[in-house]
Amino acid sequence: MSDKTGVVYDLGYKPYEGERLGRSGAIRAMLRDGLRRTFGIRRKSRKKVYPWGLVSLAFLPAIVFVGLAFALSSFAPEAESPFGGHAQYISLVGTVIILFCASAAPNLLIPDREEGVLAVYSSRPMTAWDYIWGRVGALALVCSAFFLLPNLLMYVGFAALDDAGLASALIDNLDDLVKILVTMVAYVVGYGAPALLISTYAKRVGPAAGTYLAIVLISPAFAELFRTLDFPGSRYGTLIAVLQHPEVIRNWVFDESQGSVPMSAVGFEPWVSVLSIAAMGAATIYLMARRYRREL
Amino acid sequence: MTAAALTAHGLGHAYGDVVALHHLDLEVPPGRIGLVGANGAGKTTLIKVLLGILTPTVGNVQVLGADPAEDLITVRSRIGYMPEGECLPKDQTAADFVSYAAELAGVPPHESRQRASDILTMVGLHEERFRYLGDFSTGMKQRAMLAQAIVHDPEMVFLDEPTAGLDPSGREEMLDLISRLGGFGINVLVSSHVLPDIERTCDWVVMLDGGQVLRNGPLSGLTETGVVELEVVDGAETVAAELRRMGAQVETSGETVTITTTSGDPFVAARDALAATGVPLRRLGARSTTLEDIFLGEAPGDE
Repeated sequence: MSDKTGVVYDLGYKPYEGERLGRSGAIRAMLRDGLRRTFGIRRKSRKKVYPWGLVSLAFLPAIVFVGLAFALSSFAPEAESPFGGHAQYISLVGTVIILFCASAAPNLLIPDREEGVLAVYSSRPMTAWDYIWGRVGALALVCSAFFLLPNLLMYVGFAALDDAGLASALIDNLDDLVKILVTMVAYVVGYGAPALLISTYAKRVGPAAGTYLAIVLISPAFAELFRTLDFPGSRYGTLIAVLQHPEVIRNWVFDESQGSVPMSAVGFEPWVSVLSIAAMGAATIYLMARRYRREL
Repeated sequence: MTAAALTAHGLGHAYGDVVALHHLDLEVPPGRIGLVGANGAGKTTLIKVLLGILTPTVGNVQVLGADPAEDLITVRSRIGYMPEGECLPKDQTAADFVSYAAELAGVPPHESRQRASDILTMVGLHEERFRYLGDFSTGMKQRAMLAQAIVHDPEMVFLDEPTAGLDPSGREEMLDLISRLGGFGINVLVSSHVLPDIERTCDWVVMLDGGQVLRNGPLSGLTETGVVELEVVDGAETVAAELRRMGAQVETSGETVTITTTSGDPFVAARDALAATGVPLRRLGARSTTLEDIFLGEAPGDE
């Protein structure tokens, strides 16, 4: 018989003695969670359909355009490119961002309140502001990716076809990249802020998404009504079309015609839209802070 | 002397005109602490002040030596919290959510998965850890909520009504888990209006009523009465007479003799009386009161 003796340890609980990342670790965890949540990662399959469908909608045209441009340059090098530039593509991506915000913003904020998960955040090394920036940051990150990546694909793809060579074309068209980035900020804040604001106060995901989309659809009609009315100050009513301000900035940055955008039609300069978007963003953050400081 | 786990000096909190906590002075040592009181006594408000969610209207409070109103991040880095209501996202698996709860407390992602797995095993959810939380039963949800509260190995955990909604066997299992937490080096504050749960799990009690401290002390000190009861077989009056002869004050009821006061140790007096009379003993023990008796005895009648 062996004279060796052993010790049995209860492995049911082990104290954690490893590294702790503190407040910054908590915010990074929130960002990762936000990305997973908006794309339905580690969720049931049905949660993945909508966001990944929108990813396809945002990227596929860019991939097709660049692919066809390559094919065209091989088979008919003298032909003019039938594809629009970044300004046109931004219109398409803008619609995708609206559809994405309608789903992502409510899903980022409302379940935490409805399912009581805010209580978990209130016992972690973070403040109400950290929570807000974690959620706002996640939405901004994803919307920026929606906006930037297809445009970057087109920027690099078309540069590769340029007679001057890839490197020269990238440098020569650098102003396009700056325009894309400026417009991206306008679209992400302009479309994301109203979605976050509605989701801060809504009690259910579905109604929040519906309200946001209703504003998208109805507010231009009201703005148009204000444009046609003729009483003192009625022109200010055109600013109600909050989701058209990014469009004004896009037209301005890319030197496109403002067309029939109501606020431009009544004579507002583009900087009014810049201020409107900034005010909407600041108001959203302020109201979110008011809402969440009571619970976190 | 061991540093206090919780202290409060003149602590008050009001929701507008409604005063929820009224000038609380507390000093509570580390260990398993029961926070008892009727609904509306101020238990949850006190926990929210301890968590730093609410700021004291007057006075101050310290958790593990830090003031949550001034040093929120330090306090929250060292605590865990299991709220009274649900706090679980229905569309995540237990493993994913508990792992995320660990990450929120600063545990690196690569370690949080393993940590979540270990803790879910400890609370008895090993087999269910990859199921969605929305499909969990009430008992499983309570365990998952406890798991998220301790996954990051906090120094202190606040459990708000941890047995609420559980069936008898689920309640027993939850109380066993809570009792074990002290052995893991985690200080526990259990808030409950179910007084037997506190008696079962805690060694210190803070009793609140109407936002004021009714009692604050070790559980044994609160429930001990100093009274000894002995049950005999045919001869209660004989034993009682012998005890009275020895100078003790006694009461009899059927075959039970109750020693209320004596000059020495009442157990020694009982032993001597039994030896002198030769009456057979059936049962001998200290009579202890329950928290419920204390609470009902001291709380104002309108509760």
